[in-house]
Amino acid sequence: MNYPVWDVPVIGSGWTIGIIAIIHILISHFAVGGGIFLPMAEAKALREGRRDWFPALEKFSKFFLILTGVFGAVTGVGIWFSIGLANPEGTSALIHNFVFGWAIEWVFFLVELTLAAAYYYTWGKISDRDHMRLGWAYGIASIGTLVIITGILTFKLTPGGWLASAGTGNEPLHFFEAFFNAGYLPSVALRILVCVSLAGIWALVYFGGMDGETEGPTKEKLVRWAAKWILPAYALMPVFALWYYTTIPADHRELFQLGVSTIGQGAFTHVTRMALMAVLSSATIAVVIFLFAWLFPRELTRGQGVAILFLALLATASGESVREFLRKPFVVNGYLYSNGVRVLNIERTNREGYLARSPWADPVVDTTLPSPEIGQRMFQGQCMACHTTDGYRSMKRLLGDRDGKAIGSVLKILHDHKPESPYYKYMPPLVGNAAEIESLRQYLDIMANGKLTSGVVDTRPKPAKAASDTLARADTAKVVPAADSLKTSLDTLKPVAKDSIKASVAKPIVDSAKAAR
Amino acid sequence: MAKSSSSVPESRVYRWLDERLGLTEIIALAGKKRVPEHKHSFWYYWGGITLFFFVVMCITGVLLLVYYRPGESAYESVRLITYDIKFGWLVRSIHSWSANLMVAAAFVHMFSTFFMKAYRRPREVLWITGIGLLSMAMVFGFSGYLLPMDELAFFATKVGLAIPATLPVVGPWLSDLVRGGPEVSAYTVSRFFALHVVILPALFVPLLGIHLALVQKYGMSLPESEEAKPESERKTIPFFPNFAMKDLAVWLIALNVLGFLAAVYPWQLGPAADPLMPAPKDIHPEWYFMSSFQILKIFGNWFPGALGEFLGIAVFSVGVLLWAIVPFFDPEKRSGLWARRVTWFGFFVVFVLLLTTIWGYAVLPAGK
Repeated sequence: MNYPVWDVPVIGSGWTIGIIAIIHILISHFAVGGGIFLPMAEAKALREGRRDWFPALEKFSKFFLILTGVFGAVTGVGIWFSIGLANPEGTSALIHNFVFGWAIEWVFFLVELTLAAAYYYTWGKISDRDHMRLGWAYGIASIGTLVIITGILTFKLTPGGWLASAGTGNEPLHFFEAFFNAGYLPSVALRILVCVSLAGIWALVYFGGMDGETEGPTKEKLVRWAAKWILPAYALMPVFALWYYTTIPADHRELFQLGVSTIGQGAFTHVTRMALMAVLSSATIAVVIFLFAWLFPRELTRGQGVAILFLALLATASGESVREFLRKPFVVNGYLYSNGVRVLNIERTNREGYLARSPWADPVVDTTLPSPEIGQRMFQGQCMACHTTDGYRSMKRLLGDRDGKAIGSVLKILHDHKPESPYYKYMPPLVGNAAEIESLRQYLDIMANGKLTSGVVDTRPKPAKAASDTLARADTAKVVPAADSLKTSLDTLKPVAKDSIKASVAKPIVDSAKAAR
Repeated sequence: MAKSSSSVPESRVYRWLDERLGLTEIIALAGKKRVPEHKHSFWYYWGGITLFFFVVMCITGVLLLVYYRPGESAYESVRLITYDIKFGWLVRSIHSWSANLMVAAAFVHMFSTFFMKAYRRPREVLWITGIGLLSMAMVFGFSGYLLPMDELAFFATKVGLAIPATLPVVGPWLSDLVRGGPEVSAYTVSRFFALHVVILPALFVPLLGIHLALVQKYGMSLPESEEAKPESERKTIPFFPNFAMKDLAVWLIALNVLGFLAAVYPWQLGPAADPLMPAPKDIHPEWYFMSSFQILKIFGNWFPGALGEFLGIAVFSVGVLLWAIVPFFDPEKRSGLWARRVTWFGFFVVFVLLLTTIWGYAVLPAGK
């Protein structure tokens, strides 16, 4: 909890990033695929003497410039903004490692934007040859952005040898080791195929708006040509997907295999369900393009094009969701957990306390005294990156009918984080000292049941013991009646937060704890 | 028998079938049928989408029937389907989601029909059969909601069946008849099951047949903006293969939406119903009953006691009746002032439905 907490009710911060990212991917991949599509369309028109294509291509390049230059750029900034708020530790780790990588990507991006504008504004104003050169230069710059960003994205799942330098302070020296990681090449290949397909799909959206009567022959040729752009993906994607699959670390592949083996019962299957969804929607795209565009190209409407794009959105969302879920419970595999806890810091945090080093909680707070307020900070710091109180991955729903004691048992399993734990593969360890974890237990008990349903555990006289030892003895520890203990802790503690942490969600829970006095 | 066209395959199998079924004639007939193509054509697909979800519901319903046991074992059998039977969770999720999507698609279809004035002469019966089908689809939903007999289903049905009980004279008798006793119990589940899988399908399928036959007879209705154009300027496409192939594409898209919802939000099963436990605080009906539920609550607040509920039911019933007989107020293009009034009535209905539904969800107490 080294940064302020970002509380997004109902959908949670994860979905907020997801929504922005999916829109961004649809547009940014089009920005790359379009960089191949436009010059190739222009070259084909020149080669085959189809100058009737030029007006449509010129308008399409305007649409392309506005969509990618405005909405692509804005959603790109949106991703930065949202990941920085939702997972500042992860964002910080990536920036520290890849600052030069990103700098290069932004250079490519600026070149790309400039060339996209130049390409559109020079239609009919410079020679065909120079215009083609501008188009290809744009294509190379746009592929440059993809080639860079993919290295950073794949690093998160397959950091490989870089991990040896993690925590030494020399991480940036291992830039190339991190960048050219095991998943890099298959990922670049997969993404280029997606870019090419999306270029064809966006072209169908645009050409669908042409008049089938007045521009019939041109529309027919352009629509059928654009429809063919999904073919490379269908021919090669299974091969590259299989290659990518072989690069996934074995313990993460197990998550997928666990989903496959339990798909019949529907348990542990989120990754598998999303993978099947990606296959279903990808297969549907081909059939729908055949039915809408290939069979009746002159009748294709913009609405039908948007419907195909909607399927692409489903396929993209499912595919990206699989990629993200396969990395669980890490942001950077083997280095940083999804709750912002570094693997190297677990022992120290358990010993010294999770909130002790948080600049966003009062440093004089005695975190050896449990209280729902401290529990609230623990929830905000370690749970809210993935869970909401009532909405997506609702904590209330997950807690179900558990009473305080049962909640304590779950927290102990999460804290111990043993390989045999059912949560081990997809939940990060819960860190903190005994009082902090008891605080979280109290907070969740009140969240689930509206009051404390079991006595609170007095953790005060065990300063030298590790939190797990303390928790292991929780059953035999001195148990104080809930109301008395709570009164003591609430009266003794000063307010924890000194910042503007948004507590609107948690406030009613703390209020109800006070009411219990 | 008409000679087959060049596009029709001339295989031996085809010839064999053609001699017996007259395929060539059917294909020629379908090719002659034309579908208007204009900027509002999008709305023509919603009837097909509704039908698609109905077909999915029938198929998954039959699969669920293999394991579902009404009566005392209802909850246990649904638990078995959801957690033990291979892909039971998926079949149940698809069934439940397609039920909801079917009602949603039917609402879109109904309102698009309404605002395109497709209920006008000679399509009055088509409109009334459509209203009948939507009403039955909602009863399908209500009866299916109880079948898992979990906590939410039990209490929602209990609340739902308490509403007609307030009707004078026949109310208590009617509620007891449907419940199979004074309380919602295993008998109610058995009765709802019979209603859900025998009585309703027996009524729904013939009515659907009439509805589809009338669609074929009268074809797609033109919106006023298209009717105003000279016939030479109106565009049409052949029903087969053009419209049929596009319909198929739309069905595939609908399948993806259904698959996505079933995969991401599999239908949950709550704890078993316990009549001795207090009702959950956030008890509420399915979304398509939320508007009527909220209207009843509003009238209940204005007029406490049975009078409020009776007035709520009366107002709602009159509204539905007026909606069903709209074609008789606005029978043709020349309806003038009445045509405009009916359009405003439509906007009013949409506004009230949306407002009361949102209101209903907004005032729900927070549950677990």
